[in-house]
Amino acid sequence: MSTRTPAPGAVPARSTATGPGRVLVAVYGVFALAASARAGVQLLRDWHEAPLAYGLSAVAAAVYWVATVALARGARAVALTAVGVELVGVLAVGTWSLVDPAAFPRATVWSTFGSGYGYVPLVLPLLGLAWLWRSRRAADPPPAASVDSSAPPPAG
Amino acid sequence: MLIPVAVLAALLAVALAAWAAVFAIRDRAVVLRQLWGAAVVEGALVLQVVAALLLTIRGTGPSDAATFWGYVITALLLLPIAAAWAFAERTRWSSVVLLVAAVTIAVMQWRVVQVWTGE
Repeated sequence: MSTRTPAPGAVPARSTATGPGRVLVAVYGVFALAASARAGVQLLRDWHEAPLAYGLSAVAAAVYWVATVALARGARAVALTAVGVELVGVLAVGTWSLVDPAAFPRATVWSTFGSGYGYVPLVLPLLGLAWLWRSRRAADPPPAASVDSSAPPPAG
Repeated sequence: MLIPVAVLAALLAVALAAWAAVFAIRDRAVVLRQLWGAAVVEGALVLQVVAALLLTIRGTGPSDAATFWGYVITALLLLPIAAAWAFAERTRWSSVVLLVAAVTIAVMQWRVVQVWTGE
């Protein structure tokens, strides 16, 4: 994948913010921006219309911001928590909005599992978890060429 | 006046997305020529801002001004960020970021038209 050019400078190779992680940070950033802009307008102007839905939009926006910043800065524990909360949130709110549609007269980012956003809100936390898992394993020392990496290198 | 500009911006963004997708599939990083392409898309978005401002001054602005400007300004930010990352990330993933930005802009144009006309 990243075999074309070695990273210039002293960029840590297994940061959560480089390579595929950069795509995640970008998508999380777009969702953070979109969700907070939307929640801001809704909360300031139409709060009374659907307080639960709009409140949840604001929560979603906050979670996206935390995930974006944590992934960009390589704060794994924070990122894992934010992505986990996001997954639970989209599953819980998605189910809730199907079981009790009356509670959601207005859509949120997470209602009906994010169908209004092409289900990206449902797929994103799964990708986030997969990336955190993969990049964590890559953070181990790179495997040596030999099978038994603990063996001393052959003399000569 | 605004809708043709939005359609133009969306078509240009789709073309840029396709170009970035080819590069992503071929495991190539973004090249400078694509950033010129991104600049063309950005030009269409700036044109949209100018058109929206003129129409608003004339009194035929968007039906939902806050949401409309939210979308328009967010769309303006995406490609510069993707371009900055294209310099920092010299792998195929910069192409994927450009792809994501271009697709997002295309989808946003659809919403921009919706919000402008009041759905």
